[in-house]
Amino acid sequence: MDLALQLLFTGIGIGAVYALVALGFVLIFRATNVVNFAQGEFSMVAAYLMVVAVEAGLPYWAAFIVALLGMALLGVVFNLGVYYPLRHRTYLPVIIATIGASILLANSVLAIYGPQPQVLEGWFETPGIQVGPVYLDSQYLLIIGVTICLVIFNFWFFEKTLLGKKLQATSQDKEMASLLGISVSTMIMITFIYSAVLGGLAGILVAPVLFVSIQMGSTIALKAFAATIIGGFGDVTGAIIGGLALGVIETFGAAYISVPYKDGFAFLVLIAFLIFRPQGIFGERVAEKA
Amino acid sequence: MPLLEIRNLVVRYGEIEALRGVTCAVEEGQVVTLLGANGAGKSTTLRAISGLAKPTSGDILYDGKSIAGLGPEAIVRMGISHVPEGRRVFPGLTVKENIMLGASNRRAATSEISREADAMFDLFPDIRKFTNALGWTLSGGQLQMVAVARGLMAKPRLLLLDEPSLGLAPVIVQAVFKIISEIRRNTTVLLVEQNARMGLSVADYGYVLETGRIVLGGKPDELWGNEAIRAAYLGGHAKVSA
Repeated sequence: MDLALQLLFTGIGIGAVYALVALGFVLIFRATNVVNFAQGEFSMVAAYLMVVAVEAGLPYWAAFIVALLGMALLGVVFNLGVYYPLRHRTYLPVIIATIGASILLANSVLAIYGPQPQVLEGWFETPGIQVGPVYLDSQYLLIIGVTICLVIFNFWFFEKTLLGKKLQATSQDKEMASLLGISVSTMIMITFIYSAVLGGLAGILVAPVLFVSIQMGSTIALKAFAATIIGGFGDVTGAIIGGLALGVIETFGAAYISVPYKDGFAFLVLIAFLIFRPQGIFGERVAEKA
Repeated sequence: MPLLEIRNLVVRYGEIEALRGVTCAVEEGQVVTLLGANGAGKSTTLRAISGLAKPTSGDILYDGKSIAGLGPEAIVRMGISHVPEGRRVFPGLTVKENIMLGASNRRAATSEISREADAMFDLFPDIRKFTNALGWTLSGGQLQMVAVARGLMAKPRLLLLDEPSLGLAPVIVQAVFKIISEIRRNTTVLLVEQNARMGLSVADYGYVLETGRIVLGGKPDELWGNEAIRAAYLGGHAKVSA
């Protein structure tokens, strides 16, 4: 029982990272109808930015701000360079462009930093606290805390602000949104910036837990992608629940069944969902557009 | 000077010439109806005015200035609001949110927009009780009311209405046209209708489009008087005074 509680905590912690990246996937998908295959690279690039900034001697909080600003900038460049020129084409050229961008980002970092994984220190001096039978790792606590704040912010932003409503309108019917005077290109720009920052935040938060490596992006992205399918593609709540569920499942699988097959459990669940419930837990709630 | 003047407008979709030289005008304060069969180019005309379709040649003058080739976001800011075919109410947003977004073409505080949206329900009392219902849960008639209310939130000088009666039960059509006759008190309306009888009943002037060209224009009673037109477009079996 104690072990189960401990695993639950760790699983939710890692699941929160998947949830953040999955949220980025979903937001871009809803705004552009395209899966951004470079979403995982956003996390990787942010982790490297953080490493660079810390090595340059910046205090941790300043490095954090620099890394996030860098991600916002990457979101702008990514939109203008990858999505915008192809926005009137079908989804296929855009998807291929995002795959190309993902390869470009990974290899650029490789060329600059080399293949050696980097280590990023955790945020806190204290490694963690013992609460009853459960040891709460401080980095996991931070991940969970930040994710909760972001989920609340996300809800407030999309449900309570007019800008959030304009973003939703744009994702539901771009032509109609433009007829109302909503600047569709601005809305899509905001989406890319927000998604890049979300993905970057996930990368920065998870970096002290994992190694900072070129491959971290694709590993996280695959899990997050699985999470969005489990949750129901295009659904914000589904992405968060799916991410958390996946983190818990793989942590328990690793502990009780097999450690080497840890990554396999996520994909086993994904395959099961694709066969038995392809619409995911939450399905498609919004009816087909008129 | 007419509020809207279209000169020799040609619009092509690839190989297909949807409009082949349309010329017409809308005077300020009037309701003008564009009649014609399916595929005659009625919707394309509206789409060209609101910036959704790019004119191949010809000109569109609004308030004396050319707006041909401008994007929809710029055109709605100039005061032309387009309520397109199929209503296009955002399915995942509530009725109130849909209506509020209609004011996206102008700068106003959110609280002000919210007040104006609430006031809109005085003109559309039938949808008041659906204020917080999501778009996709509404019926066709309710969607049409939301779409028109949203279009009016732009505070347009010129309102473009595309087939507001399409797919609606006769009672609902009556209600929609009652609203159009109220709107006309302070807004100029360009109305596209397949239901010629209803379209002409509220209009000051009508044009008949046929395969991308205006073939006839006149006051409603003149159009009714034209035997050939009545037979072809107006379902001329019964004489109805407009």
